[in-house]
Amino acid sequence: MSAISVTNLRKSYKKIDAVDDVSFDVERGEVFALLGPNGAGKTTCIEILEGFLRRDSGQVQVLGVDPGLRQQQQWLRARIGVVLQELAVESFFTVRQVLERNAGFYPAPRPIDEVIELVGLREKADAKVKKLSGGQQRRLDIGLGIIGRPELLFLDEPTTGLDPGARRTTWELIHTLSAEGTTVLLSSHYMDEVEALAKRVAVLRRGRVVAAGPPASLGGRDRGQVTIRFTLPAGGPSSDLPVAPTRREGTSVEIDTNDEVVVLNEITGWALEHKVIVTGLDVTRKTLEDVYLALTHEEIDEPTRANA
Amino acid sequence: MSASTTTSRRSLVPHDVRLIAHQVRYEQLAFWLNRVGAIFTVVFSVLFLVMLGASAGQAHISFLHHLKLIKYYVPGFVAYGIMSACFTTLAINLVVRRETGQLKRLRLSPLPSRVLVVAIFVSTTIVSLVQVALLLLIGRFGYAVNFPVSWLAFALVLLVGIVSFSAMGVAISTVIPNQETAGPVTSIVFFVLLFLAGLWFPLSPHSGLEKFSNYFPVLHFIKAVNAPFEFQPGVSPWAWHDLLIIALWGVVAVIVAVRKFKWAPRRS
Repeated sequence: MSAISVTNLRKSYKKIDAVDDVSFDVERGEVFALLGPNGAGKTTCIEILEGFLRRDSGQVQVLGVDPGLRQQQQWLRARIGVVLQELAVESFFTVRQVLERNAGFYPAPRPIDEVIELVGLREKADAKVKKLSGGQQRRLDIGLGIIGRPELLFLDEPTTGLDPGARRTTWELIHTLSAEGTTVLLSSHYMDEVEALAKRVAVLRRGRVVAAGPPASLGGRDRGQVTIRFTLPAGGPSSDLPVAPTRREGTSVEIDTNDEVVVLNEITGWALEHKVIVTGLDVTRKTLEDVYLALTHEEIDEPTRANA
Repeated sequence: MSASTTTSRRSLVPHDVRLIAHQVRYEQLAFWLNRVGAIFTVVFSVLFLVMLGASAGQAHISFLHHLKLIKYYVPGFVAYGIMSACFTTLAINLVVRRETGQLKRLRLSPLPSRVLVVAIFVSTTIVSLVQVALLLLIGRFGYAVNFPVSWLAFALVLLVGIVSFSAMGVAISTVIPNQETAGPVTSIVFFVLLFLAGLWFPLSPHSGLEKFSNYFPVLHFIKAVNAPFEFQPGVSPWAWHDLLIIALWGVVAVIVAVRKFKWAPRRS
């Protein structure tokens, strides 16, 4: 059984489609990411799954129940963990007090010290929350998300506004939780974050899923066009290149191709035959960022929405 | 791995009382740990009484059977203390918690909303009663102002006041857009109504200002708290008319609160 199953989900605010026919599944134990620019519908999706917002139509199952049904919500809320976009910290408490308070809500909470250890706040356990740095507050926030031993954890843009060091430690924490078997639904607008954490990703744009799959093959980036780059010797080659360069600037050459094996063979064969010393040979696929920007690019004169 | 799956949903319900006690404990902790808030609420009412008692307390009010002013101030500041805890402090607290996402996160925790509502109400009541006790003791031992004669009538006034003004506090929190304006908005509304209701300078009966203030609950609450002290001959300790108007405001506030209450921060 999937941890999350979403089929043809729709939700609109004041006639604007915030979520427009979205479908995806998240397996148990998986880290799944919703990637998209601000306003793409990520938070709306997550809030419907949490049972915080009502949907307009479509089928939604979270841990086997419908989060929109009131009588299921209590059951569900004891089994999910939620980390909001906002740093919802209660500044006058100490770290331990906040965790103890929230632990009291759950039937079988994780021991406080275990959570403190897990989120790396042992030295700050008795410090006031307002004295913590942004990264430490975010880790406390995640601690509150996991204190009830959730089977499923929602993380809505968990590293937005954090410095690079704090982002790394947050990533490590998410890796640890995932390794323990917690299913994680993550939203983000950072490509590197999704690449580092998620097994699969759905890219949202204006409420629609425009691409889905593992980050490594998203938008066909494991196949298709690559760019071959190299530099010719300063004196110029003794013979013409066997393949027409796509771009050439002085001695730097770039060739875009869908058939890198053949092109590389021709270039290297030619270089060996003509004793041309080729330097800086490099083959690059589209980065996830290239794919993402292409998928989420807003065309100015676009009359209708792109189809998924 | 997950022990929680073995706990049935039904078994959570009898734990409501334990959960309420748990949450009240942390509501109280949060209130008293926020020193500025606690001082603003509790110390203010006490300071007002002490300062006014020392300066103007020995004067007499000509139109209230030459009542000593301090005997008007003790019930008056009991009313002030309750309104301050239930209206101003509760409203600001709710707006701050809503706008920082704390209410939303509580909503998404397994803590039932009814438990949270009861716990906040109980906590507000505790803060109110602490003030009432302090003010009565200062009045009795500092200024020789007697305790209420009819404790039963006094308890009823406290109950109606705490419930109604708490409802008004929740209601006004729903129209305040952000935490920056929460303090100024509630304080201005509160202090203007207090002033017009004659908390500092008693209103002479049938004055224009009294007629105006009669539409609002503050003057009625000051009168209702006064009544059980039986300082004025011929005035019943049971201020039914005043209590009814306060309760009507309370009912309207409950309707507004239930219809308009939001858990999530307001989106830009």
